Amino acid sequence: MTAALEAVGISVSFGAVRALQDVDLAVDQGKLVGLIGPNGAGKTTFVDAITGFVQASGSVRLEGREISSLPPHRRSHLGLARTWQTIELFDDLTVRENLAVAGGRPSLPSSFAEIVFGRQPRAERLAEEVLGLLDLEGIAEEMPSDLSQGRRKLVGIARALAGKPSLLLLDEPAAGLDTNESRDLGRRLRRIVDGGLPTLLIDHDMGLVLGICDEIYVLDFGKLIARGTPEEVRRHPDVLAAYLGKSAAEVEPGASKVGAAWAAVAEGAAEQ
Amino acid sequence: MLAEQIFAYAILGLGSGALFAGTGLGVVLSYRGSGVINLATGAIAMLSGYCYWALATGEFGVTFATPLAVVLTLLFSVVLGVAFELGVVRPLRRQPPLAKLVATLGVLLSAQAAIVLAFGDTAHPQPSILPGGVVTLFGVTIPDYDIWMAAIVLAVTLLLAAGYRWTRFGLGTRAAAENEAYATLFGLSPNRYSMGNTVLMALAMGLVGLLAASINEVDPITLVLYIVPALAAAMFGRLTGFTTTYVAGLVIGMAESVLVFLGGQSWFPTSNGGPLPGVDELLVLVVLVVATFFRAGKIPSRGDIVERRLPRAPRPVAPLRTAAIFVPIAAVAMWALPFGFREGLITSCIFAISLLSLVVVTGYLGQLSLVQLGLAGVAGFLVSHLFTNFGIGFPWAAIVGVLAAAALGVGFGFPALRVRGVQLAVVTLAATVALETFWFSNGTWGAGVLGAPVPAPSLFGFSFGTNASFHGLGGGEPSPLFGWFCLIVLTVVALLVANLRRSRLGQQMLAVRANERAAAASGVNVRNVKLTGFGIAAGIAGVCGVLLSYSYGSITASSFSALIAVALVAFVYITGITSVPGGIFGGVIYVGGLFAYALLDWFGLQGNWLNLAVGFLVVMSLVSRPEGGATFLFYGKRPSLWPRASKDPQGKMPAGGVVNDEGEQQMERSLAPVEVEVPS
Ligand SMILES: Nc1ncnc2c1ncn2[C@@H]1O[C@H](COP(=O)(O)OP(=O)(O)O)[C@@H](O)[C@H]1O
Ligand SMILES: [Mg+2]
Repeated sequence: MTAALEAVGISVSFGAVRALQDVDLAVDQGKLVGLIGPNGAGKTTFVDAITGFVQASGSVRLEGREISSLPPHRRSHLGLARTWQTIELFDDLTVRENLAVAGGRPSLPSSFAEIVFGRQPRAERLAEEVLGLLDLEGIAEEMPSDLSQGRRKLVGIARALAGKPSLLLLDEPAAGLDTNESRDLGRRLRRIVDGGLPTLLIDHDMGLVLGICDEIYVLDFGKLIARGTPEEVRRHPDVLAAYLGKSAAEVEPGASKVGAAWAAVAEGAAEQ
Repeated sequence: MLAEQIFAYAILGLGSGALFAGTGLGVVLSYRGSGVINLATGAIAMLSGYCYWALATGEFGVTFATPLAVVLTLLFSVVLGVAFELGVVRPLRRQPPLAKLVATLGVLLSAQAAIVLAFGDTAHPQPSILPGGVVTLFGVTIPDYDIWMAAIVLAVTLLLAAGYRWTRFGLGTRAAAENEAYATLFGLSPNRYSMGNTVLMALAMGLVGLLAASINEVDPITLVLYIVPALAAAMFGRLTGFTTTYVAGLVIGMAESVLVFLGGQSWFPTSNGGPLPGVDELLVLVVLVVATFFRAGKIPSRGDIVERRLPRAPRPVAPLRTAAIFVPIAAVAMWALPFGFREGLITSCIFAISLLSLVVVTGYLGQLSLVQLGLAGVAGFLVSHLFTNFGIGFPWAAIVGVLAAAALGVGFGFPALRVRGVQLAVVTLAATVALETFWFSNGTWGAGVLGAPVPAPSLFGFSFGTNASFHGLGGGEPSPLFGWFCLIVLTVVALLVANLRRSRLGQQMLAVRANERAAAASGVNVRNVKLTGFGIAAGIAGVCGVLLSYSYGSITASSFSALIAVALVAFVYITGITSVPGGIFGGVIYVGGLFAYALLDWFGLQGNWLNLAVGFLVVMSLVSRPEGGATFLFYGKRPSLWPRASKDPQGKMPAGGVVNDEGEQQMERSLAPVEVEVPS
């Protein structure tokens, strides 16, 4: 079976900054893969490279198909969906309309029918289904700006799901959520992945990532330093060095959370 | 010989070049001080110019000696600057760049209307403030005004450049522009710097107004429109560089002057016996486009705290039902009203259509285009020329006109893909001026000065033009038949625009408006959506142009002037740029429309009073009711019409160290073109 995502030799430079160097990463069908690393390690840049928002070298294959030369919207049509660290909802549209935009392209005849005869777009019904999946039924008619941060994060995920993607990339979906919300999110993600949607999860909440992922990649300074099951990554000496080599002040935002998580990891390793 | 003449003309162009450069300095000062792209700098210079003229020629009964008049004029411009800061810049401090730009359009409109009301629109001669002599350079004798002007503006430029580099004031302004939040944190007051820069801008404009006395008569248009070459110069200076702006302004002035010389040469293309008109405006457009493409990418983005973006575009609830209420009322009115009111209502219908085109392109797509009226003109002129040259009448001429406007709109859309928001407004303003002078005023393919005839529309031998014989209850012309025709067209266009908002294409437009990157990630082809939006809006503008030409029975360039284009934007911002009711009611209150006729008929108030008020109203409504009066009336029940500022902390202040420029706030602020497509 071809992998849902196969990225080989991904490199990105911003001027003199080499944000990613030769990163290989694969997401197999039905798997939830984690991508972690300290702040500035290049995680967001990796998602941008896969989705076509930064110029990157290397090869990106989505279900076996090379997509690295395609513009972002074409990649989206082929089944690639992402969320944003900074949420990025369409603030001028209701939640339902946000999902409708992602819910597929209007064909020329359907656009014509909608504009000339005032037919209602069908895609909006699909929105209902996705909102149900994330327990967001009540807010379909709300404006994103009227929602809490946590809700907006979920709407961002719902919008990514609305396009019926074949691969989901989540950039820090749990940032800004409290522990309970984060745990809830983890359960929902697991359900979504088990429902057949391979997913790459980036997050700072180590409890979440180590708890639910099948496989984890670790980035530091744009280089892949480890890869394996949560258990293997937890014990990997380079990973510990990457995180513990930094002072707490360098680990931000949510320094306490990350710091605590890695302190716990370190303790776990020390006990071994 | 030839070289000497060209040289002489180039030197003669120094004067107007200095005025362009000076006005460009005003644009730079406004941008550096408060992030406003100030389209009213020329208008402020014009106000100062009138002040000087009035003082120096005894318009108010007292004639002042020139030096005293100069000093008083500069004082007057300081007052103007303070008023501009307190009345426009400060209230709009937290508004997005587009809103600020529209506010300056309002100021331009008010200033112009005020002058016309006070002094009429004829030009008056005025005494020069400079000693008038001649110099002989390389065997060519030229008046030395021009050299003086260039030298004085150069001195100002150098002073400003040095001041910004080395004084505390300059450093503070730069700090505040780079990051308002941090500057405040360090105890700098962005308000003070903004005030200082605005006053400097007004002083510079006062100087431009004074210097202009040496080469121009004072009139309410010339200096106002100097903003276009001035913008071209300022764009070359990336809106921040004083010396580059100066040089570019000077070069534009000299090039225009040389073009005048070349126009007299035998090989120069002619039109109706005279040299081809509008070549200099075309030159300015080209300069502006070049500047925008090759220089604007590096315009420093500003770290202003922006709270608001374009107002929400509410989803129409039941457009058909609304139409069923309003259309019959309007239809009866067409038949029953006396002819003056009927004419006003027809004009309202026609301009409402052009405002609906702005609703699509700005309200839905988020791009402020000032060329919509120019596109209307293209359609109107085609209708006229298809008839006079080929005998083609209604409906084919109208259809061709509309399609041509739409095609041209898509054509304009291609460069617009790389130019966003405020810059697009600047380029399209220049395009409107160029279309008006190069095409519409042209004797061969435009209307010349006299206007070109347009046949009354008729179908199967049945005429429904303004002069149809059916006169209705109110009597007189224009015929209610033509009114009904316009009303039907408006209704159809309005329903289409309302449906567009509900359609998925409309949702995609709003998604693009809100966040291009997120839209692309959601599978929206940003380029195609924009081009489609530009095309639809241009087609609608074309419909307006066709009706306009039928309603006048002939077509002239002055119906499609840049100042009218500016006024249209101001009117629709008051009623609501994001909704169909906003567009329609904008038409109702538009100059020449129903409301304006009522003002004239009942109170004897001319259209310019309306223009005067509209400038003020634009600023007020941007502050207090940015979604616009009609939009609020129709959709105002919700508690919050305005998208609130993102509560995301990352949007507000850059997290130390890590550059993470995601987020639309950054995109809104930055003038740099952001490309979504990745080069393959
Ligand atoms: N647009 C950009 N321009 C320049 N440098 C950037 C840009 N985006 C990210 N970087 C740099 O690339 C590195 C990786 O950033 P990022 O991918 O955002 O890290 P992460 O998401 O892991 O915190 C950082 O050093 C950051 O400063
Ligand atoms: Mg990141």
